[in-house]
Amino acid sequence: MHPQLELLLELQDLQTQRRALEDDPLRDMEEAVFELRPAEALDLLQVKIAEVIDRLEPGIRRRYMDLAGNLDRAVAPVLNGICYGCFVATPTAWASEAGRNDHIGVCDYCGRFLYYVD
Amino acid sequence: MQLRDFFTLDAINLDLESETKDEALKELVGLLGLDEKSRGILFKMLKRRENLGSTGIGRRIAIPHCRSLVVNRLRVAFGRKLSGIDFDAIDKKPVQHVFLIVAPPLEVSNQYLPVLGRIAQFGKEPDVPERLAELQRPEEFIALLEEKGV
Repeated sequence: MHPQLELLLELQDLQTQRRALEDDPLRDMEEAVFELRPAEALDLLQVKIAEVIDRLEPGIRRRYMDLAGNLDRAVAPVLNGICYGCFVATPTAWASEAGRNDHIGVCDYCGRFLYYVD
Repeated sequence: MQLRDFFTLDAINLDLESETKDEALKELVGLLGLDEKSRGILFKMLKRRENLGSTGIGRRIAIPHCRSLVVNRLRVAFGRKLSGIDFDAIDKKPVQHVFLIVAPPLEVSNQYLPVLGRIAQFGKEPDVPERLAELQRPEEFIALLEEKGV
C-alpha cells in the first residue's frame, strides 16, 4: 500500500471516529457504557487529525483539504468496482489491477481518494 | 437481529496467548482474516480509541470497537484469557473476555450501534462473566448468546 494512502486511510478513520463522537446515539453509549468524556476525546482526536494532515505530502494535503472542505469524506472505499463516495463505477481495468492500493488513485467522477477494499 | 448471526467459530478464541492489551488487540484483529496492512491499520485505530478511554467496561469484560475503511462489513470476534489482561478497565480489574467490533464507515443496514449495544447489554447480565469463563468450546459461546436471546 502506498504510504500516503495509508495516512489518508488513517485520517479518514479518525474523521469517522470524530463524527461518531459528535453523533448523539453513539456519543450517549460511549458516555454511558464506556464512561468516555466526549469533549476531551474530541479535542484529542482533533490533535491527532492535525498531526496526520501534517504528514501528508504537500500536493496530497492540498487535495485532501479541498475535498474535506467540500465533501462529507475525502477518501472513499471501492467495493465491486463502485466508488462509495459517489456510487459511480471506477474504470474496470484499473480496478482489477493487482496492487491497486500501491498508488494514489482518485475517482474520475467525484475526485475523492480511492481505497480498494478486498 | 441476533448477535449469534455475526459470530463465526473461527473468530472465537477461548485461549488467547496475549499477555498485554496491545497483544490482545492484535490477536483479535488476527481472527478477522485481513491482510497484513489492513490488520496494522485496524490495530492503530483500535489503539487510538483506547487512548481516548479504555473500552474495559468492568466485570472482566472489554469491548474494543471502531469504524474503519479496511473492512467491508461489520466484523466481530471474541477472545478469552482466563488469567486476565490489564486493560485499564473502569473497575481497574484485569479483563478476561474481549469482544471486538469493527465496521466500515458506511453500512447499508447500520448494525454497528445495535451490535455494540447488545454486546454491552449481554456483558451486564449478572452471570455472563462466569458463564463465559466456563466455556469449553466456541460452539458453547454461540449457544450462550442464543440462550440469552441477544
